[in-house]
Amino acid sequence: MTGRRWYVPWLFLLPALAVAVCFFIVPFANTAVLSFTNASTLGGGTFTGGHNYARLLHDDQFWQSVRNTLLYTAIVVPCLVVLPLLLAVLVQKRIAGIGFFRAVFYSPVVASMVVAGLIWSWLLSSDGLVNSVLRGLHLVAAPVPFLTDARLLLFSAMAMTVWKGLGYYMVVYLAALANVPRSLLEAAEVDGAGAPRRFFHVTLPLVRPTMVLVATLAAIGSAKVFAEVYTLSDGSAGPGGEARTLVYTIREVGLGLGGEAGYASAMSIVLFLGTLGLSVAVTRLNSREERA
Amino acid sequence: MPSSRGIRLAAAVVTVALATSACGLGSSGSSTDAGAPAPAKVGGTITLETLQLKPTFTDYMTGVIAAYEKEHPGTEVNWVDIPFQGAQEKLTADAAAGNLPDVVNLNPQFGQALEAKGLFVDMDRAAADVKPTYVPGAWSAFQVPGQQGSFALPWYLTSEVTMYNKDLFAKAGLDPQKPPATFDELLADGAKLSAAGKGAFFGIHPALENRFVTDLAKQGVPLLDASGKKWTFNTPEAVAYLQKLVDAYKGGVYPQDSLTQNHSKENEAYQSGRIGLLPSGPNFLATIKKNAADIAADTGVGPQITGPAGATNMSVMGLLVPKAGKNQGTALDFAKYLSNAQNQLAFSKIVTILPSTLESLKDPYFKAEGDTTPEGTARRISAEQIAKAKNLVPVQYDSRVTAAVIGKVQLALQGKLSPQAALDQAVEEADKITGAAG
Repeated sequence: MTGRRWYVPWLFLLPALAVAVCFFIVPFANTAVLSFTNASTLGGGTFTGGHNYARLLHDDQFWQSVRNTLLYTAIVVPCLVVLPLLLAVLVQKRIAGIGFFRAVFYSPVVASMVVAGLIWSWLLSSDGLVNSVLRGLHLVAAPVPFLTDARLLLFSAMAMTVWKGLGYYMVVYLAALANVPRSLLEAAEVDGAGAPRRFFHVTLPLVRPTMVLVATLAAIGSAKVFAEVYTLSDGSAGPGGEARTLVYTIREVGLGLGGEAGYASAMSIVLFLGTLGLSVAVTRLNSREERA
Repeated sequence: MPSSRGIRLAAAVVTVALATSACGLGSSGSSTDAGAPAPAKVGGTITLETLQLKPTFTDYMTGVIAAYEKEHPGTEVNWVDIPFQGAQEKLTADAAAGNLPDVVNLNPQFGQALEAKGLFVDMDRAAADVKPTYVPGAWSAFQVPGQQGSFALPWYLTSEVTMYNKDLFAKAGLDPQKPPATFDELLADGAKLSAAGKGAFFGIHPALENRFVTDLAKQGVPLLDASGKKWTFNTPEAVAYLQKLVDAYKGGVYPQDSLTQNHSKENEAYQSGRIGLLPSGPNFLATIKKNAADIAADTGVGPQITGPAGATNMSVMGLLVPKAGKNQGTALDFAKYLSNAQNQLAFSKIVTILPSTLESLKDPYFKAEGDTTPEGTARRISAEQIAKAKNLVPVQYDSRVTAAVIGKVQLALQGKLSPQAALDQAVEEADKITGAAG
């Protein structure tokens, strides 16, 4: 063992570490420092203590963003935990042509978010396909303002997030389902358990860790949602910006020639802490239930 | 000892973070003698950065650059063109890093955000010799209310005209030879067109972010006070005008989705025959011709929509010279050359823009006598307008102020705020932003 040098493992780690330090750790540390200053996007700035954080407490736009982001997370996460699992159970079956359906369900994942946003905008516009169908079936008298009502815009963006994430999490669940021992399912069947019972009492407990992983990833993704709202609303976040999410507001405040980098950094730190808290909460909740 | 390694790593991260944050907090751009006339030495290499001129005007620009380099041996001009989209982000990064090009082409709103940091040469002093050769309204577009000096040489101009679809006018029972001239006529014609279109086409698109505040200014509403910090557009006249827009939106004069759409969607709607009226720069005629020849053939051109005071607006592009440039003499000399009467006249002959130099505007080309094409008509009308036109929107009306103001106007159009409350809140929000930025 004397031939080993202590630094050899570090050499292997070095490339990944360098990337992490340059592009994640240092910018994050810089953001943390900037959040205590009044820096603009053009530089400058002096130390202002906790002023930016105190300002957040009275910023209506910030709290509107927090409310929308929490609503987004509360609706999108359960959908992305349950729906892909059901889809995975469906496409897991070995029947002819199932590969085609798997590919179709996965295709939104590889589509560019901008292209997806354009397609959804066309679908949901006042003279788009969805409104044409609704009016054709006489379900509505006037076009539904999917893109010009802030609440409906937010729900439309949620639908887009779920649509785009379904395929990705379906693949994650397919891997988990493949690890469920067939012998257990067969034993349950011999014992007279029907398909629903086998799913709830055999499959579900075994894919539970994967569900926790999916919930965590979906929660982090939802907390950072931006592109869906931006592309569906032509960059406006709806009338009066009322469908704004936290990342949308950070971008609005912190970018551009008149951007307030310090204040936007304070918002980013709050988002980071919120996301971290959410992930820790999901993990803790799961481990407590596992112990019980 | 993993723990001590961990501590060392953390210490290293904190050190690097502090070092980086120090960079982030460093003051941007070095400042030379504020407003002092630039050194006269001409020679060496400079960089010119323009906004979205490639590839359409590549031949013109390279021709002017080659001519300058020939007339001034020992000089070299590197031309960089950036798209409008993302220009703010690039300029911000360049300015923060102290890497602004020697000559930069910006509009007053982009320029002002950088000028707030004192980055540009004062042209009132550095180019006093050529100041009288420019259109006064164009020169004043780069003055910051409440401050001395002017931070750019005006380059090319556009003065909005009213383009309209004669075919849709006829379908709506309107006279195809008589475009609207006032705001009331615009709304009335728009209403007739939308009623005739029955959802297939509409009269007008509000393009609020592009027009709302300019339209207030045209109607004599004061936008900003003399200090340059306090917005003043919540007047009874402005409230009355917003009420008309609210009624128009409720009455279906505008397409439903237009509430949050920008000017580019308005352009698309006109080119696809979905709206009948398009108040916009005449340079857009070339785009219509290229993308929708049938719509271009049906397009008529009228003068800019004005209010009772008859004020007309112009849009200005400028050439700015950063103080931190290493070759300021050449940069300033080239900016004067690029924007001189001869070069601007040549530029105006390849696209429907107007020169900012008084002498070029006297050219018979702008009278367009006998030219009844939409381009010819637009050129004649906009050249007539330019003498009394001004850049009516103050430079402080930047993207953040626009978003705040238009957000409130959108809520008014939806009926969530009364016009008075919307404008009061818009002024309050805009004051906060301008005060913070200033």
